[in-house]
Amino acid sequence: MKVLMIFDQVQAGQGGKENPNLPLGGKSMAIGSASMLEPALKEVNGKVVACLYCGDGFFKDNRDEVKLKMTAMVKKINPDIVICGPAFNYAGYAEMCAVLAYEINEKTNIPAIAAMSKENEQTILDYKDLVNIVVMPKKGGTGLSESLRNICSLARKKVDGEDISEYLKEICY
Amino acid sequence: MLASLEKVLMPIADRLGKNKVLVAIRDGFLISTPLLIVGSIFLLIANFPVPGWSEFWTKYLGVDWELWFINVSRATFNIIGLLTCVGTGYAYSREIKGDKIQGAVVALVAFIILMPTRIPFEGVDGPATMNALGFEYVGSNGIFLALIISLTSVSVFNWAYRKGWTIKMPEGVPPAVCDSFAALIPSAIVIGLFFFIRIGFEFTPFETAHNFIYTVLQAPLQGVGNTLVAQIVYSIVCTLFWFFGINGPAVANTVFAPITKILTIENLEAFQAGLPLPNIFTDPFSNFFTGFGGGGSTLSLVIVMLLFCKSKRINQLGKLSIVPGIFGINEPIIFGLPIVLNPVLIVPFIGVPLINLILSTFATKAGIIPYTTGVSLPWTTPIGFSGYLSTGSLFAGLWQIGLLVLGCVIYYPFIKMLDKQYLKDEEDAKNNLQEEEDISFEDLSFDDF
Repeated sequence: MKVLMIFDQVQAGQGGKENPNLPLGGKSMAIGSASMLEPALKEVNGKVVACLYCGDGFFKDNRDEVKLKMTAMVKKINPDIVICGPAFNYAGYAEMCAVLAYEINEKTNIPAIAAMSKENEQTILDYKDLVNIVVMPKKGGTGLSESLRNICSLARKKVDGEDISEYLKEICY
Repeated sequence: MLASLEKVLMPIADRLGKNKVLVAIRDGFLISTPLLIVGSIFLLIANFPVPGWSEFWTKYLGVDWELWFINVSRATFNIIGLLTCVGTGYAYSREIKGDKIQGAVVALVAFIILMPTRIPFEGVDGPATMNALGFEYVGSNGIFLALIISLTSVSVFNWAYRKGWTIKMPEGVPPAVCDSFAALIPSAIVIGLFFFIRIGFEFTPFETAHNFIYTVLQAPLQGVGNTLVAQIVYSIVCTLFWFFGINGPAVANTVFAPITKILTIENLEAFQAGLPLPNIFTDPFSNFFTGFGGGGSTLSLVIVMLLFCKSKRINQLGKLSIVPGIFGINEPIIFGLPIVLNPVLIVPFIGVPLINLILSTFATKAGIIPYTTGVSLPWTTPIGFSGYLSTGSLFAGLWQIGLLVLGCVIYYPFIKMLDKQYLKDEEDAKNNLQEEEDISFEDLSFDDF
């Protein structure tokens, strides 16, 4: 299972809150917090083939451009699944995850899922019926590795085309 | 092994993080923290660690100019008991979803009801007593009593409130007026309860609740917290939890915050009064001599990443993290390197602060670096300055630099392991896949959209 991940500047290992204007970029390997998912991905026989990233501020200022280019790039790389997250309680990034996952699901036939903590109330309210958003803790909260395992097994189930309606109730908003 | 460790730790973190009483205690102290920092600045101006400072200003400002500044510092940390009572009362009311400000003030009133108010003094005709509030009781000695009273009074207040024992106003009365009447009976119950508690204590050998709590609870707990063993436990909890993505200090402080606060304020009170400093394990000691540069003392890690790592990712992250790192912010490292769930880096992440703690404790005991004065600087104060300002000794600043270098040496082999692996990943991406490692968004086609 080829996995593509979409990050903000923090998760990509490209700085912190002071670097929100990081332009679109990517690497054809696992970078930044992708390594947090690797053990769980291995369990479901997945591998990160590419990571795309963009600062949350850049996304806010160039929404349409980011949507278009990210989707086109996903299509070009053609992974089996796209994971937008883990977004913790980074509000700007969480919104970006939901928006991009929705866009990718709409415009391509590659499934995309998102993951964020419950603090992103508005985004979850707006997108929970449009995108599979996996429940995860805020930064520093408990239950991170379990939620990472949930993200990976949901990815697997989606790629395999399993019936996931019950599973979604368990792990998504 | 890590998975089974997680099974043990997760429920602990969960329980501590969700326990409303512990969260209220931790967050209650956060309310007084900014005030302590501002008060500390005033105290620091009055006692700036430069020889001849006091004499220099006396020439311009007159004798006893320091007292102007001490009036301010005293108004913050010498009333820490009161601030704790209000802060915890507020935070606990918030946790149990009650009236926050009403909870805070009813706690304050209950605290004063139990306060010893016959203060002995040396009168013209010999020893006498007067009715007053003593700094002795509203300061650090009153912290535990303040915690107990605010938690109890807020609980009782809300219990009465939820029973519906309130005076209800007709519709159309403004909400502020309604709230005030609604608080009347619950407040009366709290005040009545503490009225009897005070009388009850007068029949015991302790005479006051203050003496009782101080002797039975605060002094023993403080004694336990003020040991190297307890501090080692604290340090390990702070870092180990981060490995699982859990904010370690937030967990540890639910238990340790009251004790560390007391130890810190005791030093401040002694410093202000010009007495010998009693405690090693204060907040500034923990912030600036054990875990400086962010949890895990990651400033050392960032320096090694910047100077010695060759993989693009690590080196780039080092460059981006050095400035935040100098100010003790390490979020880019925690999630971006990452530290979370990274079995390679967890060893030095736990080890470096632990070694700093042990070395600094012995250095303080041996008189190599002075005791911290308790002056509370923001935890973002860069090292070198923080060591100097929190002790008044330039050598303590140098000591920090020494620890920083030692931290680099310890982090080096571990981050190099990761660096090698990342370098290999980067090489593989270049050679095997016959494609650019960097993904370019320049030549995309949008024909399909």
